[in-house]
Amino acid sequence: MKMEADLKTGFKDKTNKMLGFYPEDAKISKSYIAVAFIALLVGGFLGLLQGLNRAGLLELPTWFNYYQVLTAHGLLLILVLTAFFTIGYFYAALSHNLGGLLPKVRKFAWSGFVIKLIGFVLAVIPILMNEASVMYTFYPPMAAHPVFYIGLALIVVGVWMCCIGAFIQVANWRKNHKGQHVPILSYFATGVFVLLFFALMFVAVEVLFMIIPWVFGWVETINVMVARTLFWAFGHTLVNIWYLTAVSAWYVVVPKIIGGKRWSDLLTRVVIIALVIMNITGGFHHQIIDPGINEVVKFMHVFMSLAIGFPSLMTAFALFAVFERTARRKGGKGLVGWWKKMPWGDVRFLAPFIAMVAFIPAGAGGIAQSTNQLDQVVHNTMWIVGHFHLTLGMSVVMTFFGISYWLVPYISNRVLTPQINRLGVIQTWIWTIGMIFMSGSMHYVGLLGSPRRTSYSTYGDHATALGWDPYLMLLAVGGTLLIIGVILQVYAVFNMMFFAPKGETEFPIAEEEDNATKTPYLTERWGLWIVIMLIVVAMAYVIPLTEFIVNAPPGSPPFKTW
Amino acid sequence: MNQSFYGLLLFIFLVIPPVANFMESVMVIHMHMQMPMLVIAGFLMARFFQKRFPGFFVKWNSNGLPGILLFVIIMVYWMLPRTMDEALTTQTVEAFKFFSLPFLAGVSLRNSWKKLSSLGKNVVIISFTVMFIGLGWLYIWSPVQLCNNYLLIEQVTLGWAFLTTAIGLVIYLGYNFFIDPSAYE
Repeated sequence: MKMEADLKTGFKDKTNKMLGFYPEDAKISKSYIAVAFIALLVGGFLGLLQGLNRAGLLELPTWFNYYQVLTAHGLLLILVLTAFFTIGYFYAALSHNLGGLLPKVRKFAWSGFVIKLIGFVLAVIPILMNEASVMYTFYPPMAAHPVFYIGLALIVVGVWMCCIGAFIQVANWRKNHKGQHVPILSYFATGVFVLLFFALMFVAVEVLFMIIPWVFGWVETINVMVARTLFWAFGHTLVNIWYLTAVSAWYVVVPKIIGGKRWSDLLTRVVIIALVIMNITGGFHHQIIDPGINEVVKFMHVFMSLAIGFPSLMTAFALFAVFERTARRKGGKGLVGWWKKMPWGDVRFLAPFIAMVAFIPAGAGGIAQSTNQLDQVVHNTMWIVGHFHLTLGMSVVMTFFGISYWLVPYISNRVLTPQINRLGVIQTWIWTIGMIFMSGSMHYVGLLGSPRRTSYSTYGDHATALGWDPYLMLLAVGGTLLIIGVILQVYAVFNMMFFAPKGETEFPIAEEEDNATKTPYLTERWGLWIVIMLIVVAMAYVIPLTEFIVNAPPGSPPFKTW
Repeated sequence: MNQSFYGLLLFIFLVIPPVANFMESVMVIHMHMQMPMLVIAGFLMARFFQKRFPGFFVKWNSNGLPGILLFVIIMVYWMLPRTMDEALTTQTVEAFKFFSLPFLAGVSLRNSWKKLSSLGKNVVIISFTVMFIGLGWLYIWSPVQLCNNYLLIEQVTLGWAFLTTAIGLVIYLGYNFFIDPSAYE
């Protein structure tokens, strides 16, 4: 009896190993992804409250006001959902690609998990007490309760642990596989964790050395411009970390799902390197209409921001090349007729595909916003909120959803059933329509002047403000559709995690094309790329930061504006 | 050939008066972008000279020391505040800048670097690191204007650029010291 059981488990271990599946590592990814989708559920409901409030349909009570909801919504979806999903997803990839996580690395991942959760709880308590309604950007001179910032600092430490774990894992693999290229998905993971590691330094300096001494009253004033600059050096990089995570699935997973091959390994790796090198400096365009920065510096930074667009265009080219080649191989004909050969009924393709299409207007909007003169018109309006929901809420999050339909069954040793696939397709369309309504009306009402970061007001029944109402109503309609999408998605994830039929699911990684050119080994020299990145960062930030610090205006004491 | 052509293009781009004027209008861009880019242009063009005059380099720069010495002298010369000022006010000095950085510093760097032992390379990088820290200290904490052509704030900015570059070099040295690439490649 015992022998039989041993044989059985031995056999199972072997198949698992063949499939690159390691149960202990799967537990890590599963925990991270579960937290991510719980955050989506709670954050989604908070978003609905905001949407209904902005449409004038719902008056929020004084003990749970608009700005509290906004802060919590931002923190849950921007920090928790994305960070936990990204880490869970890439740790699954590292485990699958690199022969299982080292025990040391698992420890890093778990300690990171616990530290982040503690930090998150610490950050949420003051928000619930209405002591930290500073929104997710926590710009000084608005000052929250000190505990809020301590929580944020812990989250930073937790993410750092995951970065270090990933570096150890990749370095160890490379030592044992001399001269080989790191498998592509782990290469993406390396790029993402390098970016996270360095970007977090900026926000760590901001929180630890500027804000915490200031909110505790050890120093009286804070240099607002420096704090904002440090925040966005991190903030914009975080945006591109989500984007790079989504892109990894577009390059590597989607081709496999449609039955095609990866188009160019070299191009993929060059895109990753380019994004890593140029990303942090892009943060400045979020401050393009800030005072105290001269035009020359702003112009330089517009150039830096637009430079990031270049790898995105390369991505678009590569992906559509994959689609067309695959469809034609399957017998697709004509200039547009090959479209019919794509697996439209497969949620694992449909969701990331719509996400990619959404990135076309989202990217174009981003280019408009990083242009000084155009940004003057939209900067403090709902347009920006619309842009953010189009990029994060559609391009990134829909890709995450698409990933979840194979990743969650994979890490749970279950399968994607046709029912859940159908549910996923329905969810994808609901989400798409909801986001078109919501983001579209946000963009438009922003052009008409409706401000962001304010709760509902008719400004004394001013005619202009009343003119916004129809669009704000559409916003609420979109938000309502989206909450249905959230509920379906969270249901699907937890169904696949705990209730779907048992079985093996493959980790879909597309092969390179047969006649692919060899990728030069230079792409593996991360030391070189990081040094170039640091030089680019110094080129971008030394001039403005010196100016802000040496010619600083009088600093600001903390303010509680709510 | 290709490389040398791109080097020449970069050189021509840097010489165009509006480009040169813009880059020289900001102190830190003048010293930390224009000058290194001139060196890079020379570095790329070096291939042409190496192919054209192989005998010359073998004869005069067989172990790389004369070349790297020339490179260091030219670099140190252009790091003096006085010379930067002069480049802006005297045409011939400006011309010398556009000649010396690519053709004396860039070409000799390309020809010498690979010939140096790792000790030699480290000595060069360490001495530049020390020099950058010293110059950073000078430019940041000097109470007076060192260049007639630039304001004090620009001088402080340049000082910080020196210090951040030095930090970058220290990171590079540490990386070289602790990480053995042959363990991975």
